[in-house]
Amino acid sequence: MRVILSARPRKNPFIPVEAEGIVPARFLQPAEGIMVAVGNRIRPLTDVFEVTIEGIATDAAGVEVVLRGDTSRVKRVGEYMEAGKIRVEGDIGMHCGNFMSGGEIEILGSADGWLGREMRGGRILCHGNASHYCGSGYRGEKHGMRGGYLEVKGDAGDFTAEYLAGGEVIIHGNCGDMPGVEMKAGTLTIMGSCSRPCGNMTGGTCTILGTVAGMLPTFRKAGTAMREAGGILLTRFEGDVANRGKGTLFIRDW
Amino acid sequence: MIVRDVICPFCACLCDDLDVHVEEGKVTAVDNACDLGSHKFLTDHRMKGPVRRTASGWQEITLEEAICETAELLMAAERPLLYGWSGTCGEAQSAGVHLAELVGGVIDATTSVCHGPSILAIQEVGHPGCTLGQVKNRANVVVYWGCNPMHAHPRHLSRYTTYADGFFVRNAFKERKVIVADVRGTDSTNVADEFIRLQPGGDYAVLGALRAIVRGKGDVVPEEVAGVSREQLFRIAEICKKARYGAFFFGMGLTQTAGKYKNVRNAIELVDELSRHTKWTLTPMRGHFNVYGFNEVCTWMTGYPYAVDFSRGMAFYNPGETTAVDILARKECDMCLVVASDPAAHFPAEAVEHFSSIPVVQLDPFPNLTTAFSRIQIPVAVSGIDAEGTAYRMDGVPLRLRKVVDRGYPEDAMILSAITRRIADGGGP
Amino acid sequence: MTRLLIKNAYVIDPLNGIRGEVMDIAVKDGWIVESVDDGAEVIDAGGCLTLPGGIDSHTHICGTKVNFGRYMMPEDMRAGRTQRRGVMHSTSGYSVPTTYGNSYRYSAMGYTSVLEGAMAPLEARHTHEEFAATPLQDTMANTLFDGNWMVMEAVRDRDVKRAAAIVAWTLAAVKGFAIKLTNPGGSECWGWGKNVKCIHETVPYFEVSPAEIIETLIRANELLRLPHSVHLHCNNLGVPGNYQCTIGSMDLAPDLNPERQSLYLTHVQFHAYGGISWKDICSKAEPVAYAVNRKPQVTIDMGQMMFGKTTTMTADGPMEFNLYRLHHNKWSNHDVELETTSGIIPVYYSKTSVVNCVMWAIGLELALLVANPWQCLLATDNPNGGPFIKYPEIIALLMSRRYREEELRTLAPEALSRITLPSLDRELDWHDIAVMTRAGQARALGIRSIGKGHLAPGAEADIAIYPIRVDETDPSRQYRDVIRAFQKTSWTIKRGRPVARDGEILVEGTNKTVWVKPKVPDQYDMGKDPEFARNFDRYYTVRMSNYPVQELYLQRSLCMESEAQL
Repeated sequence: MRVILSARPRKNPFIPVEAEGIVPARFLQPAEGIMVAVGNRIRPLTDVFEVTIEGIATDAAGVEVVLRGDTSRVKRVGEYMEAGKIRVEGDIGMHCGNFMSGGEIEILGSADGWLGREMRGGRILCHGNASHYCGSGYRGEKHGMRGGYLEVKGDAGDFTAEYLAGGEVIIHGNCGDMPGVEMKAGTLTIMGSCSRPCGNMTGGTCTILGTVAGMLPTFRKAGTAMREAGGILLTRFEGDVANRGKGTLFIRDW
Repeated sequence: MIVRDVICPFCACLCDDLDVHVEEGKVTAVDNACDLGSHKFLTDHRMKGPVRRTASGWQEITLEEAICETAELLMAAERPLLYGWSGTCGEAQSAGVHLAELVGGVIDATTSVCHGPSILAIQEVGHPGCTLGQVKNRANVVVYWGCNPMHAHPRHLSRYTTYADGFFVRNAFKERKVIVADVRGTDSTNVADEFIRLQPGGDYAVLGALRAIVRGKGDVVPEEVAGVSREQLFRIAEICKKARYGAFFFGMGLTQTAGKYKNVRNAIELVDELSRHTKWTLTPMRGHFNVYGFNEVCTWMTGYPYAVDFSRGMAFYNPGETTAVDILARKECDMCLVVASDPAAHFPAEAVEHFSSIPVVQLDPFPNLTTAFSRIQIPVAVSGIDAEGTAYRMDGVPLRLRKVVDRGYPEDAMILSAITRRIADGGGP
Repeated sequence: MTRLLIKNAYVIDPLNGIRGEVMDIAVKDGWIVESVDDGAEVIDAGGCLTLPGGIDSHTHICGTKVNFGRYMMPEDMRAGRTQRRGVMHSTSGYSVPTTYGNSYRYSAMGYTSVLEGAMAPLEARHTHEEFAATPLQDTMANTLFDGNWMVMEAVRDRDVKRAAAIVAWTLAAVKGFAIKLTNPGGSECWGWGKNVKCIHETVPYFEVSPAEIIETLIRANELLRLPHSVHLHCNNLGVPGNYQCTIGSMDLAPDLNPERQSLYLTHVQFHAYGGISWKDICSKAEPVAYAVNRKPQVTIDMGQMMFGKTTTMTADGPMEFNLYRLHHNKWSNHDVELETTSGIIPVYYSKTSVVNCVMWAIGLELALLVANPWQCLLATDNPNGGPFIKYPEIIALLMSRRYREEELRTLAPEALSRITLPSLDRELDWHDIAVMTRAGQARALGIRSIGKGHLAPGAEADIAIYPIRVDETDPSRQYRDVIRAFQKTSWTIKRGRPVARDGEILVEGTNKTVWVKPKVPDQYDMGKDPEFARNFDRYYTVRMSNYPVQELYLQRSLCMESEAQL
């Protein structure tokens, strides 16, 4: 089944839309009942999107939802998703793929903050940039993303993979400040540059292939390693010593 | 007539020993207050009454009209923002939260551009704190990090720290060691026994290095961290470990430089680490006299201390998303009610610009920069001068502000309740 | 002029000796009366269990440290959110709900009065503000004196009357209800990062011991003729081997009051540990319970621990710091000048932890081994042992051996040899439960005299109708029905007005705060005492004139006055 949601033009396109109802499984039932929040008003999904359904599916895995048009302010798409596919042709709003545990989300444009927040499984691919808190957790929780695979072809903002507790995050471009801060498990790879990675790290592995600015003083140098892909020589650090940390940081240049 | 033990409604020191001289219904002099507090009591260029902006200029309107129109604007809005709160009493803040809940709006306070990061850090690692009297009576080491109390909290040192004698510290000036960390020399660094001069943005690294040293892993620390020598770092760590009681105070130097809440978190974790050796506490130098009060009120009512979004009928909290500057800069809000704050004076230009596209209503005694963007302004009584109410000091101690004069202005709480009633009785939004 | 008639109520009213009788209850203007006229609104209880409104004698729901617990735990907040609906405000929070959250959830369970476990006098205003936002329960505040400098000086000088005078002034000034001692002596030590390990150890500088503080204040309490007794959180909470300290503390209590206990020990589960370390910790509920059985002057509450996530928050600052060192979880601390301290840390009680399994068993053992239910009240030290929404499960565990056996089978096996619970057959009955959840509290708190805890004419019309037919239910087998029934009343009536119906809240509510004002002779009036005033001039950072809490903070105020015998 293919569900095409075309965003209708809005009088005020800046009021955020919360669309946690847009998950593949939901479309196994009639779309008429799906509601979204436009600011503080609850409206039918069909008010905000033109809905076209092609084909049928017997389970969520057989459903692909395509979002078209200006969806840059549509939040919580794919929240708690367990199976199926979501494809966003433009930009996507905050909290895309929140709590996701299975299935796939592909974003052709860029993603706003908190992409893949608290993911447990599944795959997210963002072709553009991701904003702050990509692959991170929620305020106060000890664990952020616990599993799954999150890949951003462009740049990511600050606090990428904060509280990473499992799974894999790959950023092809640059990251902002403090990627991997508080991470405890899982793998974070940054192909570009960033500043002050992995503060307070207690576990897991982070690899940075670009240049690190503001390298923190509380990481202990522990030898070198050769990265197979591209034959790049990396220096290995252990830490964060300030925090009883046993994480591993591989850096090409700082 | 002299009204004694008046509580100063300026900063979060909430000095409660002011003597206010009142003659013929006006304040003529203030004893014991610092310049900031005196100024607040003595200057007076208040607006006369509610006004509405029209194409031909400001129009005087009645309070009733102002309340009705504000209610209508709030009801029509799809994403109203209710911002400010730090300059008024708890009773008004409570009414504000009720109103935000009713209209499905976002309520946020000045916290989000000030000590919000402190709260975010506390939400990660907790707050090892105390009331200020503990510091006064016991502390023999005081740290001021990234703040300039001589200017921003002028009586802090004489009431609570450097110059304040206490039960166990009979000669504070001699017995207390003061450490000040800043990126440049200030009047506060001038009175320090130890001045840690660090590079801008270097707080996180320096605090992390201190933590490592206190943990006994100082060997990892390089020769210099953010402009601070290894030697000074070790010396500071030693002073802190050997303190009988250490008190850590901090301000915008941590909360508003790169990393923000991570800087504060690192400071808290340093204090936690030191607490394994001796006694240490940490206190954020809250600015407005009742900003902490808003955090308290908002928390017991909604569960969250600021930046609460009620658009889905229950409280949602996510600083960065539900905070005023972000909502304005992203042009998300379609109406703004400002109470007891002046965001046009403080917010980034991108956020302030949006005010010109939406209706803004302001409850404030004085014309200010936000007035330039307001459609309606209602002058109100000033909490602590012509209105009573509850305020929370920077350490959480709640006091009741006094009313020393009567100026005939309506109070914030009354207006907000009237707006709420009008909306609820009118069948709700 | 509201009149209500509840028909066909199956009433258990322990304070009036009623052990299960079907009767009608007439209510007029908020009070239970002999009869009402035909114009009264009628509620048909359908033969269901009808009890006086629940009373929680120890719960942490309002005040500085509770609010600390809230705002440091946004993850707890989002776990329990409900929508705004009708008169109900939106709520948040699982183990530390917002004030409306607490109030609605307690009301749904039939609770109409609560005693806040700990209030620091300096910050009392905060507690009262939160009381006003907990509108469906009448409130009282345990007022902390464990680290009070003025009191410790009076104790050191062996001046019971002066200690009493200080307590009298303070309770009246801050609208407190009772004397609370949490880790007495330890609070002051914690001001320096230290603690006391035994009730006879002396506090530095003040040179008094916890035992002396406890003994002096017990006597002071009775001189002041306060409705409740001293309310004690013993030293050494949570420390393996602490049961001896607990029994030692009980031994300090003389029998000074015929109406009620002279010493109330709270959350005793946390204070009944044997062994010398976490590795060999075991239950000492037996000796503790037997000590209670021998001492009519002592009442305890269980402090039952329930598995799952919760938040610990107490005025036992040093204990909370030790928990932090153990779990390395986020930790908050708040020392209050000249008075007391507090600490907060989230915890997770797990069935795979031997220690936690032992703790869970101990609370139940206490309730089953203390012979007289009036002496062992039901509580979890909410939220320390677990959130109060788990009370119905505790009730079921006490009433059903079968339920206990089922649960025992899921525990860490190593725990079984450290506890006595498997061998305990006793099953409490409905009357016992009614005692342990309301009548016993009314007696222990001394609030029967203001109409709480019973259903005879003259009582305040706080009534809870639970959807269960006692005559059709065998609680031993049907424990799930017991849980369900106690989770949600059919009706909760407060001051003669229905406030909750099947879990839905019907009214905004305006509660009453009960406080005490012992009247002392002039020479003991601390308001006129220069030495007392000097503490404000010199050591407090708040002026004496700004310290008292104005009565306007109380939505409705009920002051229980007494003539102090000084």
